[in-house]
Amino acid sequence: MRNAYCSCRIFNGWRRSMSTPFTLKDMAQYALTSALRKGVEQVRVTAMQDVSDSFTVRNDKLEKLYQAGESSLFIHLFADGRYGTCSTNRPEEKEIDRLLDTAIASTRLLAADPYRVLPPAEKCYNGLIRSGGGLPSDPLSVEAKKKTAFKCAAGVWGTDPSLVHVTADYSDSRSCLYIIDSQDLYCFSSDTYYSLSAECAVNGPHNTRPSDWYVKGGITPDAIGIGESAPDNCARLALERALAKRAPGKIPSGYYNMVVENRAASTLLAPVIQAMSGSALQQGSSFLLNMLGKQIAASHFTLKDEPHLPNEPGRRYFDSEGLATKPRTIIENGILNLYFLSTYFAGKMQMTPTIEGPSVLQLEGCEKDLHSLIQKAGKGVLVTGFNGGNCNGTTGDFSYGIEGFLFENGDILRPLNEMIISGNMKDLWLRFLSAADDALHYSAWQIPSLLFENIAFAGL
Amino acid sequence: MDLQTAINIPWKRLLRLALERGGSYADLFFEQTIYHDITLRDGQVNAAGTHTDSGLGIRVLTGDQTGYAFTESVAARDMERAAQTAAFIADSSNPAPQSVRLHTIKTKNLYPVTDQWNDISPERKIPFLQEMNDLVFGADKCVKKVIARLSDTTTFIRFYDSEGTGFTDLRPMASLSVSCIMEAGGKTETASCSRSFRIGGEFLQHSLIEELAAEVVARTAFQFSAVQPKGGEMPVVMAAGGSGILLHEAIGHAFEADFIRKSISIFSGRLGTRVCAPGINIIDDGTIPFNRGSINIDDEGTPGQKTYMVTDGILTSFLHDRISAAQFGVPATGNGRRESFRFMPLPRMRATYMENGPSTEESLIASIKKGLYVDTFSNGQVQIGAGDFTFYVKSGYLIEKGKLTRPVKDVNIIGNGPAALADIKGVANNFIMDNGTWTCGKEQSCPVSCGMPTVLVGSLTVGGGA
Repeated sequence: MRNAYCSCRIFNGWRRSMSTPFTLKDMAQYALTSALRKGVEQVRVTAMQDVSDSFTVRNDKLEKLYQAGESSLFIHLFADGRYGTCSTNRPEEKEIDRLLDTAIASTRLLAADPYRVLPPAEKCYNGLIRSGGGLPSDPLSVEAKKKTAFKCAAGVWGTDPSLVHVTADYSDSRSCLYIIDSQDLYCFSSDTYYSLSAECAVNGPHNTRPSDWYVKGGITPDAIGIGESAPDNCARLALERALAKRAPGKIPSGYYNMVVENRAASTLLAPVIQAMSGSALQQGSSFLLNMLGKQIAASHFTLKDEPHLPNEPGRRYFDSEGLATKPRTIIENGILNLYFLSTYFAGKMQMTPTIEGPSVLQLEGCEKDLHSLIQKAGKGVLVTGFNGGNCNGTTGDFSYGIEGFLFENGDILRPLNEMIISGNMKDLWLRFLSAADDALHYSAWQIPSLLFENIAFAGL
Repeated sequence: MDLQTAINIPWKRLLRLALERGGSYADLFFEQTIYHDITLRDGQVNAAGTHTDSGLGIRVLTGDQTGYAFTESVAARDMERAAQTAAFIADSSNPAPQSVRLHTIKTKNLYPVTDQWNDISPERKIPFLQEMNDLVFGADKCVKKVIARLSDTTTFIRFYDSEGTGFTDLRPMASLSVSCIMEAGGKTETASCSRSFRIGGEFLQHSLIEELAAEVVARTAFQFSAVQPKGGEMPVVMAAGGSGILLHEAIGHAFEADFIRKSISIFSGRLGTRVCAPGINIIDDGTIPFNRGSINIDDEGTPGQKTYMVTDGILTSFLHDRISAAQFGVPATGNGRRESFRFMPLPRMRATYMENGPSTEESLIASIKKGLYVDTFSNGQVQIGAGDFTFYVKSGYLIEKGKLTRPVKDVNIIGNGPAALADIKGVANNFIMDNGTWTCGKEQSCPVSCGMPTVLVGSLTVGGGA
């Protein structure tokens, strides 16, 4: 809550502020009680608070410092069989009441929608003592954060005459979330995230400045190497990648085996996950409509949701309406096992709610690493990044720009750009051959490097 | 934080605190936004939202270094803390001298509102969406589903800086989008379209829903006969209107002067040089009345203006914010924009377009033996340093022997900015501004628009089968 700050700490002259831990929860409870008092039958309130810092160093100078502290109250109203929402970042009693009056009046003008209800209580999270909580504490000093960004940039600045610039960015966030509803739901979670990234641009031919990046991240400072004595390698890896991209070209259009590097692989999975969502399915605008229990990928493709893995970004015990998460196999041996159905879309489809979406996606690979996949592919294109493109969620047709490298007999031959892959998602995942055991753990979607056979590339 | 708080904030004290460590410049950006949305799904208007958001962003500059913090609180001590946090970008103990006399900037109002969104009840919006639904269903028996969404935003801004500049702006925004799902011959297809303007309740015109309903049905029906073409390099005729995405991605971003001052744009160092054929003029314009990309004044106190980026084929201006303008010793161009009080301003486009040329669309198509004609788009992207840009084509036609033949859809097109610009072979005289809900996502989201007459680009790489 923004207007009830207490001064918590002063260190190195940087004054920090932090909300009183229970105030936000109290305001959520106030909003819930007030909405019910105003005649709403059911209500859910989500309260969120987030504090973040970032320090950006360009070359050898601090370019930006940024501090953010924000909170919000989001209220779902179920009145007379009708549904409306309201939100504010000013969680004060007077503001909440004013907002509720307006929102409830608007909601009552809408058409009734019998599927807008709170989730079934027996499917909701019910695993926490109601003691509340607040923002996680910040274990790092401002100086340590700034030093981390400087150390990262210093890893390459001045080391290569081709380097145009290096930008190193340290950022962190600490957040907490409450969800309560009129069915006595009580959810609380708190989270942290730390990241360190570097981007390097280098001089290339024809006035080009090819650039690339490298990032580390995780829920503890250890994930980005804070406290380690060894030099940080983030910027060095970004520089190596940028240098390798100089003087790219195209190859003739044709069908090539395709290896997609781990950091880019999620782009190809995202349309599949979206096509499993209730919002797309209920509207009939999903290429996976009526595919539950059917083959949608190669028989050696298995995708899991592991929401309770400790220490992984994205882990959670409940979704945004309070439905309890649990480990699930989404696709097993190529067979689609699950649709992501919130209470609303499940009701509309006469199905049972599952969960609104995945938490920690895991796709296990059997090959050792990226190089193993390249060797297995023989000749083909290594895709290291996507440049634009899209997928038609209704038909599955896709077309994406790519950047990467041509390889043959396990060797990288030359960089590629201005090329495009096209096809259909249903066909693409049947062409999946193998995955490496190299998933990155800085994001919730832990997708490793992937190998596909005979993909259409447009180039020369 | 409310409007009265914004007017009464102790701006002199906050600016003094912001500069207490030697920063050379500071500004205060207060913002309050009220947002409404209302949605029709499955034949009924059955969801609506009312949302408020407000806060104060405080920026301190020292040269090209930026300190930024914001507060959502009205408490004086929280605003003071934000100022003191931003001040830490500077490390001197000598406070910079500052002007204290306020001069308020007055500009022409490009988006006057007579029908305030905050006074418009859902009772007026519901029949509007319901009628849109009926029009779409009535246009084609293959229509199975419609989703329509109307949103409006009213943003109040109050600004002060350490040079004594102050301004107030009231920015409306209204958007209407509709998507349609049709079934025919065992196939399902979908398409969507939208309109967005800086406008008040005057937006709610019957002609608007008639136009959108006809457009979304036509777009969706088109999809049934369209295919992905065979890919490869080919000439591309870009139809008037949304093809302005070419300018936004291939040129506009690379002209944003934060990339120029850091020497990471492929156009760095090319000011004053020829970048395309004589006769071609490319503009970024914040002064078009009611346009989605227009701004009376940018988010750091520079009045909105019309900036010729390319004049008669010569690169004549980059898009500057305060920092880059100071570095290059030129006036800021009014491109310092931000998503909200939570963000520091950056050079951002507004409405980006190309002026008419001498050709006709028919003659440009007729000049192509084998190529592609593209007319609707969904998204694009650019790599600033390499210059490679892409945009995703939702619909178009093959060109064979100078005529439009087979319908195509869902292909990405990729090219290189300087090469594509230099490869513009012809510009038609049929300029159209696209008034869809274009939003630029460079670090932050900003409403923009784009437009273009029909243009022929000699060669681009088109996605599709091999």
